[in-house]
Amino acid sequence: MTAWSRIAETLRVAWRCAGMARHALWAAKTRSLFVVAGVALGIASLTIIVAAVDGADRKANEMVALFGPDAALVLGGNIQTRAVGQRTLTLSYEDAAALRRSLPGAYLVVPMRSKSNVQVRYGGRVTQVPLVVGTTAGYARAWDWPLSEGRDLSEQDLTHSARVGLIGDTIAQELFGQQSPIGRTVLMDRFPVQIVGRLSYRGVTGGGGPVDDRIIMPITTLTKRFHLDRKYFRALRIKFHHPEYMSEHVANLRSLLRHLHGLRPEQEDDFTILTADEILQFLSTFKGGLVLFLGVTALVAMLVGGFVLANLFYLGVDERRAEIGLKMALGAPRWAILVQILLEAVGLTLIGAIFGMFLGIAMGQLLARLGVLEILFSWKVFGFALFASLAIGLIFGLKPARRAASMAPIDALKGS
Amino acid sequence: MSAKQPIICLQDIEKTFLLGDLTIEVLKGVSLDIGAGEFVALRGVSGSGKSTLMHILGLLDRPTGGRYLLQGEDVAALPDDRLSALRNRLFGFIFQTFHLIPYLSALDNVMLPGLYGATPARQLRRRAQELLSQVGLADRLHFRPGQLSGGQQQRVAMARALLNDPQVLLADEPTGQLDSATSTEIIALLKTIHSQGRTVILVTHDAATAESAEREVLLHDGLVQNR
Repeated sequence: MTAWSRIAETLRVAWRCAGMARHALWAAKTRSLFVVAGVALGIASLTIIVAAVDGADRKANEMVALFGPDAALVLGGNIQTRAVGQRTLTLSYEDAAALRRSLPGAYLVVPMRSKSNVQVRYGGRVTQVPLVVGTTAGYARAWDWPLSEGRDLSEQDLTHSARVGLIGDTIAQELFGQQSPIGRTVLMDRFPVQIVGRLSYRGVTGGGGPVDDRIIMPITTLTKRFHLDRKYFRALRIKFHHPEYMSEHVANLRSLLRHLHGLRPEQEDDFTILTADEILQFLSTFKGGLVLFLGVTALVAMLVGGFVLANLFYLGVDERRAEIGLKMALGAPRWAILVQILLEAVGLTLIGAIFGMFLGIAMGQLLARLGVLEILFSWKVFGFALFASLAIGLIFGLKPARRAASMAPIDALKGS
Repeated sequence: MSAKQPIICLQDIEKTFLLGDLTIEVLKGVSLDIGAGEFVALRGVSGSGKSTLMHILGLLDRPTGGRYLLQGEDVAALPDDRLSALRNRLFGFIFQTFHLIPYLSALDNVMLPGLYGATPARQLRRRAQELLSQVGLADRLHFRPGQLSGGQQQRVAMARALLNDPQVLLADEPTGQLDSATSTEIIALLKTIHSQGRTVILVTHDAATAESAEREVLLHDGLVQNR
């Protein structure tokens, strides 16, 4: 017999063992179901973890792209050591002016205030706008957010506290439908504002809520109309030349602000500087926590599935001594017995993997809908699930399979 | 053929089992020649060692002493998988308790020994159908063992034993669990199988059953009784 025909014959016997494995699994439906269920739960957790990690990655990249690698955001108050009652309104117009004047590398310094939940009316339509942002000229440029129509806020708008605004895409849709909002006047809490520009649709949820449902106005107008504090604002957006020197830029910004606020060396910052790097760091910490938490869950779930399999197969092999002995008597070589039991194990774990993937995808969708997790399904999920289920089947099926294959034919036959 | 060629040659076969500290000698030096095409009955009371002898003959167990020449070849030196292959091609087994796989149909049970060989599946299926018709079960191909009577189950087992066209048929108390009418049918089938030119070795405790063989070997206390 040539080597090739021997291989062909071995493969044929292995294929026939698969057929026998199928019959045997079907004959032991209840046992099979337990194994499938055990493995499916493990694979479902694995599916969710892989999808959630991919989702977190995508989200991080989107947030960084949205934020811009050449920008910093300064928030009033220290978000890391925020003491009870600490002021968050620490950034003043003098600070903004000083930064504009003396911060090296900065070409745009845009202060921002906001007012939430303002009613906006146009004709018969009314809508609640969750966020009205007051800012200076160049908002679209500061956030790399192009306008789809109209113009950005100008210096004149600011100095005259002009009643003008930029409109987010979603609100424009709600109030004007297909028509252009440019030049139209809406009522915001009963005072009229003329829309001069429309922000293009962004769709991304930057740190939680949607971003396309906002209205942007000159900060001077906002402060006056809503009677807000005239000295301070909430946040400061700064854009820099040469993003490769971001760490130096941030160091300069920090020391300048500390100087402006008259902080002594032992005092904490009374502001917080956010950059793309910081956001990435925060997100990777978050992702690390996610991987650890879900990873341990998935590992435990898969181990449980594996032990269920090993246990039931061990018992099953004992129950099937007579069948195994008979097969040996009829001429089954030991490797064929091993292959059959292993194929039974792997067959069940693969079925478990398929159910698990569907379960995981369904649960993932649910979590994504509820906004608990950002989820991204890819072929990676499929690959991981397949690989993990194969591994469980082979690892936990091996011992029972070897036990079956090592039985002495006559002992097994008599053991019935 | 004048002198029958010995297909099986046992020389001083011994088998001892260890039960803790206890050594049990089951076979104490059995010498026996069985020629190709013979119909031999191995008779003995319970405990005489006849089943152990059959297991050794069928390569299901290895002797602890003596030599077993199968077609002139000493089987002691052969590895497990080679023994499996010999069992598969050379021997057919029939057991007292039938040993059918309960969740497979009669047809699938009969095909079982063929699955470990090289015969294509379609050919195996055709052969299994033929054999089941020969034992009178053409209309029971897809019945499970549980749906068949004892006699029918034993006939399925006989069809299975013949699937690979073995030279030697080993029957261990094949009528032990059957009523006398059914037993007669099974013995008649064994005679038919013998008449096809196969060697048939029948293990039994029953003198009447042993009569149906051409030759009777009486086993007593682990030794062949000479008469």
